[in-house]
Parts: sequence; structure tokens; C-alpha cells
Amino acid sequence: MTDEITIEETIKGYNEAIFDTDRDRALEVVHEALASGMTPEDIVFKVVLPAMDQMIRAISETLDANLAQQYITAQIADSVVTEMIPKFKQAPHVAGHVVIGSAEGDLHSLGKRIVIGCLRARMIEVTDLGVNVSPETFVDEALAHDASVIGISAMMAHTARGPNGSLGVRRILKERGLEDRIKIVVGGAPYRFDDELYKTVQADAWAEDGVTAGGVIARLTEGVRT
Amino acid sequence: MITGMDRLVAAINGEKSDRIPVFCNLLDQGARELGMSPKEYFSKGRHVAEGQLRMREKYGYDNVWSLFYVGKEAELLGCRKILYAEDGPPNVADFVIKDYDDIANLEIPDDISASPAFSEERECLRILRAEVGGRYPICAYITATMGLPALLMGMEKWMELLFLGPAGVRDELLGKCHEFFVKEMRAYRDAGADVLLYSDPFGSTDTVPMSFFTKHALPWTVKDIEAVGSQGIVYYSAGSRFNRVIDTVLQKTGIGAFYISPLDDITEAKTIVDGRALTCGVINDIKLIDWSADEIRDEVRRLIGAGMPGGRFLFGTLVMPLAIPEASIRTMLEAAYEFGSWGRDEG
Repeated sequence: MTDEITIEETIKGYNEAIFDTDRDRALEVVHEALASGMTPEDIVFKVVLPAMDQMIRAISETLDANLAQQYITAQIADSVVTEMIPKFKQAPHVAGHVVIGSAEGDLHSLGKRIVIGCLRARMIEVTDLGVNVSPETFVDEALAHDASVIGISAMMAHTARGPNGSLGVRRILKERGLEDRIKIVVGGAPYRFDDELYKTVQADAWAEDGVTAGGVIARLTEGVRT
Repeated sequence: MITGMDRLVAAINGEKSDRIPVFCNLLDQGARELGMSPKEYFSKGRHVAEGQLRMREKYGYDNVWSLFYVGKEAELLGCRKILYAEDGPPNVADFVIKDYDDIANLEIPDDISASPAFSEERECLRILRAEVGGRYPICAYITATMGLPALLMGMEKWMELLFLGPAGVRDELLGKCHEFFVKEMRAYRDAGADVLLYSDPFGSTDTVPMSFFTKHALPWTVKDIEAVGSQGIVYYSAGSRFNRVIDTVLQKTGIGAFYISPLDDITEAKTIVDGRALTCGVINDIKLIDWSADEIRDEVRRLIGAGMPGGRFLFGTLVMPLAIPEASIRTMLEAAYEFGSWGRDEG
């Protein structure tokens, strides 16, 4: 068996496990690959991250991916990358820092957790501010961590559109002259029902789901840094 | 005078009334209608009943609700902290289940009807039944066995237990939730609810893969419906899409009404249902906040045009956000009454 075949088999086995929401099988595939000689770097960059990108493509092209698959993808990616990074020959480059939380008045946390898992897997440092986060806290914490992106999750119409969500964060960024330095990304159910809503709430970008949000935020982080 | 119940029964039987039934789900708006804060409004069943009756009278749609807010079910199981907002629905602010030990200790009341936490809902239902019973469908909201843990421990922790946690703990919780579901359904029916919205986020392929739905979610749905019967039950997935499972659910449970997601294709849903049940076409009410009157009329016309031919169709909304202007609610309803009239060409 050659390394190349092992990688292909690993990718296939890992992706199948993700789509079946079978975490144990996914971890088994990764550990078998590691035991057979695959490098931790290849596991992360050739198996785990491409699986997230494949899910983003599946969502955008066929709408055939769901919340459970995204949750499992994010959790497994996070745990595999966390396990692999100490085994890397060189410490990986940190791609940026993001603060993330649920809007003030919003106590939902699942979407945020999916995004966090995906971002960590992409070597982006994340500070989780929790739920029911005030606009002032979002901005203060972004400054404290030198974050280039604020991620705001909202699952209800009033927390997405209200003055203490994205609109409140935008107001403070403007007042403090931080708009070039810090970008706002929003997500959650109301945005799925109205794909122009992110403009109404003056965010810089939105994502339809947690896995896609990981990609959107990663690109935005890169854009702010360069 | 033709009533909302007449319209609903005609639609269920594939017959024509003056127009299709129109369900408009205004919940939080009741507080404004009565000039109260949400906390004051939701503290009494008589307030909620009065709000529901006034709004139905004002707008002329066909249903009333006994639902205060979704978190009420968690209160029946011990939640004591609700976060109120002036511009949106109340939310569960303290989960009944914080760790797995709480699952073992979770007790399901023997008689939900006698539970103090149900007393205001019972009072609301008593008033609604006295005022409009038999004339306008009285709706109740009941979370399915598989969805209830999300209210008790949060969706994030429930997903974690469901997919990554110990199967024994998961099954113990689901068993208790099923017991609660059966008792709650009995309580609502005894109190006079006619339309029972069976809400199951896990009954959607937006939430879980088809394989998981078939293997895990569907068996609980079948068990739920077998235990309580399908009379008056409406299948709903919290706004998520479920066209792909309609045929299976219909065959396995005999549920007679499907409250389609605004994100699903209504023509496709109608084709799948194929006259075997009532299809409920649902407008995207998040968009209603910003749509112009012309946009609202166009969308109502489109939805009704897709769903009404062949009958067995109801026009409805999700839970209407408070930010929707009153004028837009009126525009939507007037368009639904106009385009949903059986006196028009399609009659």
C-alpha cells in the first residue's frame, strides 16, 4: 500500500464518517492513518480541512448538508487539529484572531460552537464570549485580543435586527474609528430567511451556516491582515 | 356566517368554503394590543386569551393560539427563569438539565393539567373555548419527543448528547420526554385545543441526515403519534424544510396536515402529499418586515397559486416577528383572503 493510496482511503473514510455523523469512525480513520505513517500535517491539511471545504461545496451546490453534519464536522475537526498540532514538525502559523458570541438577548449557542470548531481547525484563534453579549463587550474584547473579526450569532429576528446586535457593534466601531481594523460577520436563522438582512444590520458579511461561516471569517481575517 | 372552523374542515375534507383557511400566528403582538409589557401580558392566561381574541377579531383570520411562548414547556418541567424582551419572544434563560445527573432526576408530572405551571394555559384555553370554541380552531404547540431536550438543556448540549454522548443517558432522556409528550398532549386536548402543532426540528433534513431521520427520529415520531393518535395533529419542523420526509411520515403516522417550511417548494410539497392530507403553505415572515405592499401581494399570490389548485390547502405564517408593521400584516391577510377565495377563476 502506498502513502498516496492511504491518503485517498483516509479521505474517503473520513468524509463518509462525517456525512454519517459518526464521530467514533472518523477518529478511528484518523488514528489508523497516523499509525500507518501519515504525517499529522497531512491529516490536517489533506484530510480534515478539505472535508470542511467539501461540506461547504455540498451546501452551496446541492443544499444537501445539515446541521448535525456541520456540528459533527466542526467538533471532529477541532479535536483532530488540537491533537495533531503538538505533533507538527513546526508550530503552525496562527492565521488571526476572532471574537465570537451570541447577540444581546440571544441565548442560543449551537451555531456559534460550530463556527468556533471550524475556525480553530483553520488555525484561527477564537475567543468565545458566550451568549447574551453586549455590543460594548464585543468591541472591548476584540480590542483586548487584537481580533480582526467580530462574529455575532443571532437566532431570533429581534436579536438579529435590534439595536444591541450587529447595529450596536457597528455604531461603536464607527464612534471609535475601528471600522478598517475590525470587521463584522453575522449568522443565524433570520439571515437564512433573508439573505439581504446582513446589509440591513450593517455587517460586512454573513454565512448561511456554521461551516461556511468558518470559511467566510477565515477569508475576512486574511483580508484585514493584508 | 362561515367560520374559521368551517373553512378548516372544508379544506381538510377537500371541499370548498368561501375561501381557503388562513392561519396567522401572532403571539407577542398580544402584549402591545393590550398595552402591557410582555412579562405582565404572559403572566396571566386571561391576558393571552384576550390578546388572541382581539387580534383575530381585528384582522379576521381563522385561528387562535393557546401558546404563550415556546419556553412554557420547559416551565412545566421545572424551568424558573425566563428572559423577557420588549421587542421579541421570551426565552428559556436557565436550563432544567445542566448535567447528565439532572436527567436521572428529571421527574415528569403525573397530571400536566393539575400542574401549577399549566394553570394559566388552562385558563387561557377555558376562555378561548368559551368564546370561540367550535367556531375558530384553537391551536396548541407541542414539542416532539426528540425536540424537547433542546428546551431542557439547550440545542448545543442536546446535539452533543445525541451524537456524541452515552446512548443510555440519551435514551433515558428521550423516554422521559416521550412520557411528557403523551401527558401534555392529553392535557391540551382535555382543555379544548383542536389543532395540535407537532413541532420537531429533528423531523427535517435541514437538521439531520436522512439516514439519521430514518433510524432515530422517525421511530420516535411514530411512537409519539401511535401513543396519542393523529387527530388534529399538524407536522411542523420549526420552519426547517421537510419535503423529503413527508411521504414517509404520512405513511407511517397518518398525520393529516403538513406545515411546510417557507424555504421548501410548495408545489413539490403539494405533489408529494397528493391529496392525502392538508398542505399548509407558509409565507417567509422574516421578509414581511421589509417587503413593500406590492412585494407582499406578489408573494401571497405566488404561494396560493402554487398550493390552492386541487384544494386541501391552508395559507399560514410562522411565528410573526414583532417588527412586522401592522399595515403589512393587513396587506398579507387581505391578499390571502382575495387570492384564496374560491369564487375566483380557480374555483
